[in-house]
Amino acid sequence: MSLFNTLIPSFAHWPARRGNGAAPDLGPTVKPYYEIQEKPEAYALTVHLPGVAKEGLELTADANTLTVVGRRAWKQPEGWTALFRESADVLFELVLEHDNAIDAEKIQAELKDGVLRASLPKAEAIKPRKIAVG
Amino acid sequence: MRITRYIQPAGRGFASVLPFSRNPWTGLESEIDRLFETALTDFAGVSAARQFPVDVYEDKDNTYVRAELPGVNREDINVELADGYLTVTAARKIPAAEGKGEESCSFSRSVGVPEAVQTDRVVATCENGVLTVTLPKREEAKPKKITVAVK
Repeated sequence: MSLFNTLIPSFAHWPARRGNGAAPDLGPTVKPYYEIQEKPEAYALTVHLPGVAKEGLELTADANTLTVVGRRAWKQPEGWTALFRESADVLFELVLEHDNAIDAEKIQAELKDGVLRASLPKAEAIKPRKIAVG
Repeated sequence: MRITRYIQPAGRGFASVLPFSRNPWTGLESEIDRLFETALTDFAGVSAARQFPVDVYEDKDNTYVRAELPGVNREDINVELADGYLTVTAARKIPAAEGKGEESCSFSRSVGVPEAVQTDRVVATCENGVLTVTLPKREEAKPKKITVAVK
């Protein structure tokens, strides 16, 4: 599916999409570009959130989902006329579902230059463990 | 490199007849351009798109160009103005992951800007991953009010 989305880029971006029913409705949102890499002890999440500062970022984790919401800090000043627009003034929203795979207490995240890099440590229960055979 | 054009309102004297002053096919054309580019270069690109979104605004004194470049350091952004085109080139460095060293991925885009720009007073700032280039208009290009006495 992701290869298909790469071939036809417009399918990967839904400019105005309602959030799923479980989360409160934020209005039109756009899904940001993100990457997840799995490391032995944690998942490394990178999300591109251009124009979002620390104050506009919300990261919520619960048992099943990890939600990233980004509000852009910049508003178009009065007196500016838009001649050509490719970005949209909507929120970034990314909902990732996991099945208790992340230890929410130990998440570390940093937002720099519009890129959120988060380290999501794996929950103890899913780490591989050796079982001694008696 | 991709050149983006926008259509300026034709003259300041008469109002634009169309409700939107953009060619209605521009959106489709740019999607098809992007489709060809992705198909002909590489599929599994490191970044989602080789092109970054660009917005162009103006007010009576300046033209503004905003480009979304998350994750790019200031020293890796190159902004050049030549022949009525503003070119933004950026290199994004991807931090080293295991197995691979540090990779770098570059983007470039050109936008047409009006001819009457004070080239020595152009400034660019970058905040939260968004680059804003301010191009002051030359005096003769600013809208002026001319009062005509009616006899």
